[in-house]
Amino acid sequence: MSSNAKVRKEILMGNQALGRGLVENGVAVMTAYPGTPSSEILPSVVHYGAEMQHPPYCEWSVNEKVAVEVALAAAYTGQRSAVAMKMVGLNVALDPVMSAAYIGVIGGMIIISADDPGPHSSQTEQDSRLLAHFAKLPVFDPDSPAMARDLVGPAFALSERFQIPVMIRPTLRVCHGRQNLNLREPKELERIPVFGRDPFRWAAIPKMRLALHHALNAKLTKIQDYVSKSKSLNQWHAPLRPRAPLGILASGMAAALARDVLDELGLPVAEGKVPFLQTAAPYPLPIGPVSELIAGCRNVLVLEETEPVLELLAPNRDRLWGRASGHVPSAGELTPEVLGEVLERALGQAKLKAPRPRGKVLTVPDQPPMRRPNLCPGCSHRAVFFSLRRALPTGIYPSDIGCYTLGMNQGAVDTCHDMGAAVTFASALSRGLNQGKDATPVVATIGDSTFFHSGTTGLINAVYNGARFVLVILDNETTSMTGMQPTPESGLTADGHPGQAVELKKLVEGCGVRWLTELDPYDMGGLQKTLKKAWRWCQGPEGSVAVIIARHACAAQRPTDAVPSPRKVEVKGQAAPAKTSFRPKENPCADCGRCVAICPAGALRRTGKGKIKVDEAKCTGCRLCAAVCPTGTMALEPAGACTACGLCSTWFACPALARDAQGYISIDRGWCVDCGLCVEVCAQGAIAPLEEQK
Amino acid sequence: MSRLKWQAVVAGVGGQGVLFVSRALASAVEHKAGAILISEVHGMAQRGGAVVSHLKAGPFSGPLVSQGQADLVLALDPGEAVRNLGYLLPKGWLVVNAPDLDFLSPKAKKALASFGARVLTVPATALAGQAGTAKGANVVLLGAAAAAGALPVRPGELERAICQGQPPARARANRELLALGAQAAAEV
Repeated sequence: MSSNAKVRKEILMGNQALGRGLVENGVAVMTAYPGTPSSEILPSVVHYGAEMQHPPYCEWSVNEKVAVEVALAAAYTGQRSAVAMKMVGLNVALDPVMSAAYIGVIGGMIIISADDPGPHSSQTEQDSRLLAHFAKLPVFDPDSPAMARDLVGPAFALSERFQIPVMIRPTLRVCHGRQNLNLREPKELERIPVFGRDPFRWAAIPKMRLALHHALNAKLTKIQDYVSKSKSLNQWHAPLRPRAPLGILASGMAAALARDVLDELGLPVAEGKVPFLQTAAPYPLPIGPVSELIAGCRNVLVLEETEPVLELLAPNRDRLWGRASGHVPSAGELTPEVLGEVLERALGQAKLKAPRPRGKVLTVPDQPPMRRPNLCPGCSHRAVFFSLRRALPTGIYPSDIGCYTLGMNQGAVDTCHDMGAAVTFASALSRGLNQGKDATPVVATIGDSTFFHSGTTGLINAVYNGARFVLVILDNETTSMTGMQPTPESGLTADGHPGQAVELKKLVEGCGVRWLTELDPYDMGGLQKTLKKAWRWCQGPEGSVAVIIARHACAAQRPTDAVPSPRKVEVKGQAAPAKTSFRPKENPCADCGRCVAICPAGALRRTGKGKIKVDEAKCTGCRLCAAVCPTGTMALEPAGACTACGLCSTWFACPALARDAQGYISIDRGWCVDCGLCVEVCAQGAIAPLEEQK
Repeated sequence: MSRLKWQAVVAGVGGQGVLFVSRALASAVEHKAGAILISEVHGMAQRGGAVVSHLKAGPFSGPLVSQGQADLVLALDPGEAVRNLGYLLPKGWLVVNAPDLDFLSPKAKKALASFGARVLTVPATALAGQAGTAKGANVVLLGAAAAAGALPVRPGELERAICQGQPPARARANRELLALGAQAAAEV
């Protein structure tokens, strides 16, 4: 607790700046569900809130809808509240958000929805400002960490003045940008929460909702007038000049980067050649300054991310250059390179010459291949995905949102849609695919935090409607992808207030699941047996949804718990190729096709009659087919040395397993964490613990 | 005193300490530039993917460096150096964690030579490994960059920015790593 009035200057991340701004403006209740690029906002409120006499109440909510409702009800009681999420979380929360515009608030409420143009870490490039417009909520669009912090005060003020939640929409480059700024003192409002009973408002029936809608429209007209007259929300970086051929209307990060690019082109905004209006409040549109700009210029280039909002709301759209006219790309981030092209073209069309063409760029051939993100070495998810492919190789594997989406590297993720869709997709796919004789195993994977967020409803639905599939809950006891936020299972809360652990097993049982087992996926042999057993049960007369809770500590968060008994391993040597002997007479072939699916040389194929044929000329002798053959038809003893078969690199995909040009494997000590899992993975017995080799 | 206007791109792979480097550079140049803007990468890309951080010191508005504008491209991984060469100014510095430029194809080498940028290669991982901490390659590379004059601040200013507020043992280790880098730069 410090009350020193000395100015502190710090380099803050945009999300920290937002958290600082909330604390500087008396936030009393803060909720969030983690999601890149928004995850650091709530921890920053916890961090800076510690400087206050009465720190704000902070919670990691179970999902974004819950988070909005908790913050909303707090604002009903007169407290200042805020909720933070990534933009796809806003979709989950849209139900209470829509209604919140009608009902309004008493204490100020800020909804922070962080967008991800690019997208860098998301499923869509959606623009939260459009959803603010749709919900009829005012929205602010900061261009930097400093502006994000500085907009918190005006957002609370607007929210309380008009009794309406206000959205702040930072983009990833604001959230994960850093800037040095002066910290202001935290503010304590010391408001005592009061709930003024008013069922006609808080529980309004449809008839009253019409009245509320009229009232909301009246509010929006007043808000439009308010933002229109605000000098601080609308910045003229370059003022209007007589008969300007081109003006620029911009908001958010595009406005900041466009100023830098204009500078590089030799047209700095300070020289005022091109009138430049930036608004921090795109909706309701600040009609005064925007109309003035458009009336004063022959054409106006509109720069904003990611969808046209200013462009669609502005008057005289026929004179705007933007997405509708094809001047601005309709997808992707507005990077300096994209803005450079857009600006050069617009300046050229307006007969304005850029004094300095864009700089010389060094281009070299032979670019390195794209580096694919991968699960950490020692991650237990990798063991689950490998076991899945070994146990049920012909299966379909719906998955979900989190680190484990990277199971795609192992060929064990077939779908990834939105939070919780692994469960619902699995129930639909298992029904559609399993009407014939040959059942296709369907095994869904979902992380613990995602299961709490949106998995339970899908699971109840699947059980209730008689779906048959295996669900593996990947329980690493944290929300790892977004930075190790606690889950309900931990009982740990965001700000350390007393919480209670919610047991995953009991929750699953409560959803009506009758086949449930908990195991440690580091026992890959046991997991493979359990997977097969679970799928057999699903198909049986009593079958339904079988759930396996695969629990193991996160290798990034708790490395010593993840690898409790390290085993240093080594590759025993390299084996020369040996032709597989195909012995359908002694060991009849089941025509399962596993060997065809896995052969890296394409030496195996199915004939028209469904029989397996070996093309000896193509066979490289890697023995992989023998490793997956369930009937022993492909008969070849494990080589006891690396055959360059590639099974470990394709199905296990550990960054510590380096593959040379010939395909032989070696252990990359820079990555290896001595988890020892690859010993079981290797079908040739080529990887062994060092001490056994001595 | 005219304010510093300086742009850098720091590139590497998740786990190499890219963000540490850009933050260290930022605090080293902050007093000369006044304003600091940094762009970082978080989330999916940190799981072993390419990580790049942009730093703009001085009167800038946005945190992303334009192609062809970086005074410094500092790469903790040779492959990531190749991926980010396009950011270099013709008068800029390329500082790479590699024993030499052989990670470039002959064509790429030629393109770089005719572009005019100054190049410093340092086997930082090997040097840091000899000092007992391979993870310190980023600090070695920083030390080399400062000693070679690739930064707008003197080595001492960089050292202060890195070691300030660190526990004594950590600060001592970092000073050693910086010195290793400086020595390597002097030998080139």
